Amino acid sequence: MSTEIEKYQGNLRYAVDIVMCIDATGSMHPVLDLVKNSSLQFHQRLNEVMGRKSKEISQLRLKVIAFRDFGDDPSDAIEQTEFLRLPQQVAEFERFVTGLEAGGGGDIPESGLEALALAINSPWEKGLDRRRHVIVMFTDAPAHPLGTVGVAAQTYPRNIPRTMDDLFEQWGYARSQTAVMEQSAKRLVLFAPEEEPWKESIGEEWDLTLHFPSRAGEGLEEFEMDEIIETIANSL
Amino acid sequence: MAGLSGRVREVHAGGGGVKPGDVIGGYRVVSEPTNADGGKCMWAFAEKDGKEYFLKRFLEPKRPREGSGSATSRRIRMETCREFEERHRSIMKLLRPDADGAGNLVLATDFFHAGSTYYKVTERIDTAGLDSPHSLAPKQRTVLLRTLATSLRLLHDIDVVHGDLKPANVLVQKREGAAFHTAKLIDFDDSYLSGSPPAREDVAGDSLYGAPEWRRYVQGDESVASGDLTTAVDMFALGLMTHLYLTGALPAYADRFGSPADAVNAGEPLVVDERLSTATQALIAAATSADPAARPTVADFLTALKDPGACTVHGTPQPRPATGRSRVQFNPPDRSGPLPDRSAHGPPAAGAEPRKSRVRINLGPRRDGPPADRPTP
Repeated sequence: MSTEIEKYQGNLRYAVDIVMCIDATGSMHPVLDLVKNSSLQFHQRLNEVMGRKSKEISQLRLKVIAFRDFGDDPSDAIEQTEFLRLPQQVAEFERFVTGLEAGGGGDIPESGLEALALAINSPWEKGLDRRRHVIVMFTDAPAHPLGTVGVAAQTYPRNIPRTMDDLFEQWGYARSQTAVMEQSAKRLVLFAPEEEPWKESIGEEWDLTLHFPSRAGEGLEEFEMDEIIETIANSL
Repeated sequence: MAGLSGRVREVHAGGGGVKPGDVIGGYRVVSEPTNADGGKCMWAFAEKDGKEYFLKRFLEPKRPREGSGSATSRRIRMETCREFEERHRSIMKLLRPDADGAGNLVLATDFFHAGSTYYKVTERIDTAGLDSPHSLAPKQRTVLLRTLATSLRLLHDIDVVHGDLKPANVLVQKREGAAFHTAKLIDFDDSYLSGSPPAREDVAGDSLYGAPEWRRYVQGDESVASGDLTTAVDMFALGLMTHLYLTGALPAYADRFGSPADAVNAGEPLVVDERLSTATQALIAAATSADPAARPTVADFLTALKDPGACTVHGTPQPRPATGRSRVQFNPPDRSGPLPDRSAHGPPAAGAEPRKSRVRINLGPRRDGPPADRPTP
């Protein structure tokens, strides 16, 4: 092995991208309030937890995708930000989440899979030495099957898969030829009820996925923000 | 060990969200599953037949279900699963629970898949809740380090590299009525044969306790080949942990470096605590050498621990070793011989698809930091 230190490439730089998919329908007041109340401190609290775990983030970006139900009102079924760099763009993050109002939703299944598909296809960081790309899903409801509700609406995302199998192929697996996410970087954290597609189709079958069951219809009120941040930090 | 001698046992699946009360493979989950310190796993405590266990749920790979995805997709995923099972079987064949001295290795007792998900089971170890090994008396520290090194020697004697040696993978235990704390080594899921690590993107390790050559390997430095990752990787971590267990902190290095290995790779030696005996300073300096061949073997390390003053922390600075750290000799072993057969354990063949990274980023406390978190069962 060469001992030439001039070839040394320097400290590892670690990039973290987090996409929060948040169900913003009527029952979701509890978790929406948690996110709103902690938005300004999110970066700091995450860093504190990371520090306790002897971990350090070189670059943190956050993106929020709020979803409701294309079957109820396509006009507000998806609201989202670009990736926001924290702490530099924390004001934009706070402005966006503060503007979210829990409401609508119509029938019980929501458009969570459309949000998940958008998240998977996010413009993930490709630089730095090591990357972690985490999608966090907050919902207390099952989801409509992809491509079945609201597809004709102008606001329906155009470039997302129309079937669960196709979405799975985009999520990918080791040696996948179709994955759009970096296998070594990706994680999916589900705070979702034990209903489909969260429990079996995704929680059991997709790799690198952690499912923390929530009670259906109760807005994830059983989760504390510290617990959520801890779980996110553990996945980094 | 059930399920590892042949086909991996298949049991009824429970779905993605495991919760207390669920029964998986006959094990009843008794604690909230968590991903704390889990890497690519979730874990919980479980019970079976009145005994308590540690149940580990792997996040990957996942076995494809009937009718799930295309034929090509299913073939690729099954191939990955076969390799995963084979790797675990191979290591477990080498690490037998009935081997002499294996009592301080926390080895798997069961390995199975439930539906799409793989699980591994070990006995539950109740730790002593000892966060500060450095607060123990010197004799206590000696026993702790000796049991740790003895466990490591079992691995190295069969040419196995632990690959992720760090405080979180060492459970400090004090049995009721026992006079001393002992160290139990856990998590052999990332172990590999010396000189035959997984591919650069796939090899596990901890960025704080990782050796310089490991660091350069994962960063794509082509001057470091897979054959350069030997049991000496563990010795670098053991050197750091020795310093931590004796003084409560890692050896010092400049703040601009993200880890001890970064500092060593940049040609800046780690600064060992002067309160340690001169011989122990030399031992740690040698163990954290940039050159793997300059590091002591674990047998050398155990010999050094026979010095009654090896684990003493003096009230005043002790003389520095007379010779430079790179000149400290522990009769380094000949690691230049032929590599073990890597057909069963080596990285995928050239041209294989991109692999996952199993590196755990840990850029953490340095001079004055507390010991890293240990699993909190």
